[in-house]
Amino acid sequence: MTQYRPVTPEIIAELASIVGERNVIYGDPDKLAPYSHDEVADRVFAHMPEVVVRPDSTGQIAAIMKLANREMVPVTPRGAGSGLSGGAVPVFGGIVLLLDRMNRILEIDKANMVAVVEPGVVTNTINEAIKELGLFYAGYPMSVETCFIGGNVAENAGGGKAIKYGVTGRYVMGLEVVLPTGDVIEVGGKRVKDVTGYDLLHLLIGSEGTLGIFTKIILKLVPLPTAKVDLLVLFRDVSSAMAMVPEIMTNGRIIPTAVEFMDRVAVQTTCRYLNEELPYEQCGAMLLIEVDGNSEAQVQQEYDTIGQLCLDHGAIEVYVADNYTTQERVWAVRRNIAEAFKVYSPIQSLEDIVVPFAQIPDLIPELDRLSEKYGVTIPCYGHAGDGNLHATLVSRPGTTEDEWREVEGKALVDLYREVARLGGTISGEHGIGSKRRDFMRLVMDETQLSLQRRIKDVFDPNHVLNPGKMFPEAAPCAS
Amino acid sequence: MRIIVPIKQVPETSNVKMDPVTGTMIRTGVEAIVNPLDLYALEAALRLREQHGGTITAVSMGPAVAEKALREAIAMGCDDAVLLTDREFAGSDTWATAYALSECIRKLGEYSLIICGERATDGDTGQVGPSIAAFLDLPVATYISRIREVTADGIRVDRLVEGGVETVWSELPVVLTVVKDVAYPRLPTLAGKRRAREAQVLVLGAADVAVRRNWIGLKGSPTRVVRIARPQVGRHPEMIRVKEPSDLEWAAERFVEFLRERNLLR
Repeated sequence: MTQYRPVTPEIIAELASIVGERNVIYGDPDKLAPYSHDEVADRVFAHMPEVVVRPDSTGQIAAIMKLANREMVPVTPRGAGSGLSGGAVPVFGGIVLLLDRMNRILEIDKANMVAVVEPGVVTNTINEAIKELGLFYAGYPMSVETCFIGGNVAENAGGGKAIKYGVTGRYVMGLEVVLPTGDVIEVGGKRVKDVTGYDLLHLLIGSEGTLGIFTKIILKLVPLPTAKVDLLVLFRDVSSAMAMVPEIMTNGRIIPTAVEFMDRVAVQTTCRYLNEELPYEQCGAMLLIEVDGNSEAQVQQEYDTIGQLCLDHGAIEVYVADNYTTQERVWAVRRNIAEAFKVYSPIQSLEDIVVPFAQIPDLIPELDRLSEKYGVTIPCYGHAGDGNLHATLVSRPGTTEDEWREVEGKALVDLYREVARLGGTISGEHGIGSKRRDFMRLVMDETQLSLQRRIKDVFDPNHVLNPGKMFPEAAPCAS
Repeated sequence: MRIIVPIKQVPETSNVKMDPVTGTMIRTGVEAIVNPLDLYALEAALRLREQHGGTITAVSMGPAVAEKALREAIAMGCDDAVLLTDREFAGSDTWATAYALSECIRKLGEYSLIICGERATDGDTGQVGPSIAAFLDLPVATYISRIREVTADGIRVDRLVEGGVETVWSELPVVLTVVKDVAYPRLPTLAGKRRAREAQVLVLGAADVAVRRNWIGLKGSPTRVVRIARPQVGRHPEMIRVKEPSDLEWAAERFVEFLRERNLLR
């Protein structure tokens, strides 16, 4: 296993000479603590960095990587810290490389329909900047108002609109990357087609900050949809809600922009958290279905068709939100679920399982069985349209830390095995990070793991960039 | 029982940007919605109808596009809608608006209740509801947080007043303006939306409601907006630096003084 060296005062001085003294955070645990964790609720995954640096150029990042290799100090890149897999947590300490100062939109090329941005740009700002031009960046994580685009690319973030628009990777056309060795490469470009050599671009997208640090990102833009309607549909039970997903696409012949799912526990907890008075008491599951387009008439016809299909299949009620205020109200229910359960109990494991979307109904009884067997609450919500569900294992009040650790591990193995049996996998959009690395073998055989490990070795021979992530072996004390 | 709900179409203000030079709102590309506070009036009316039967008529004065707001009211469950629209109404202040609306309501025949939102989120005056009552010579009860009971001869309601709640009784018809506590607005349903699409919105002009022409529009408005200014929000902080432990006492005294200067201490 790699032996890392501590960050010495000499290294601090050198870092200060690279990024400037005021962009080095060191020595004060209170100031370092915010960089010891991401949005994973369970602090067992947290680890303090020794130093945080805030570079603002490709050259500075390259210099930091060269220093890290020379001194054998691990470097963990970090965007907004809104990740959900521990990816930005410095599990071996060392340097956290914060990208918040690299937050410029470098170019908006309307004619080629691309934007060139730095990694620290808040994803939502991109859309605000291009709205006037009638353009739209369609990558859409749920945390769009806080997360950075760099993190989106590193995790290949998905979100609510993947069913129609796909995930982040579909919109990344090129990258400037500082490799773990400190060398700088450019992959891809403003070209729609490119089959020159191996597709390193898509190897880097979703590499969770283990293969390189993105310093420039070329994004594909699409025409901005001008009309959008959301339907909030109440069902008696989960299975009738889930049955609608293939129904809408095959018989309705419509690909909605989003089909979000919330089960009874998720709906009730969030409505109470928000003081939302929807008639949810008799409702066993909700779908939030969005359609968008460039013609109001077409969008109306689509939501009519979908709404009617839902009613024909036993929906209790179909609510229509066709203006910003009402849309915000219905999306608030979906967006606040994770937050509402953190208030309920911070001892939890927010999961990110994904199965072929028609297999979701087969998965639900397994969640009920696990909930029963292990005595945990498992609210289930997520992106029904693409089969990606955020089933969350939440401890019941009175559970001790030790009891929870034991139950969590066993329940996750049971859950992941069932997901794999249905043709699914353990993460759809949050990533493996440190949170799921020990479970990789449940869904990936040794041959492929070894191939992946060798790729890592080629890029990062000294294992200085974001170690302790993705691969089970890399864990310092793998359990 | 027939209930009239006057509503207003307003710009969706959560995304609105202000022109830094003129101080006015940039209206281009801004969505128009039902005044959010009017939704509570609609909900209160819908609940009364659920309990007592009857019909609900939504009324709005505004440009032709305000029909969209009325259709949203129908989608929520109103029975019918009336749009009062005419070039001559343009520029009406709250007085002229209330006058025109009251003449329009007079035209609509018998009713037991007029329920208004507390105020509109754009003009923010809260004057139109009570002014309608004045023009129609009706009793008015403002800031209604709860409708306790409606009988054949009257209504008992709670008013949110400074420092408490006031329960009042009024004979019918009466004008109420409601606050958010009265009832949480429902969402429009698919069936409602379809009904709203098909519904006929009655469109009336200045001539149809027999208003005095010199009491409406800009020329009939006793008030004028002469200037719109953005208030400057400043926190005016003061840093009290403690360098040595011996500074502490002085710093604490300065802090107390700071609070006292701003009337934050009794």
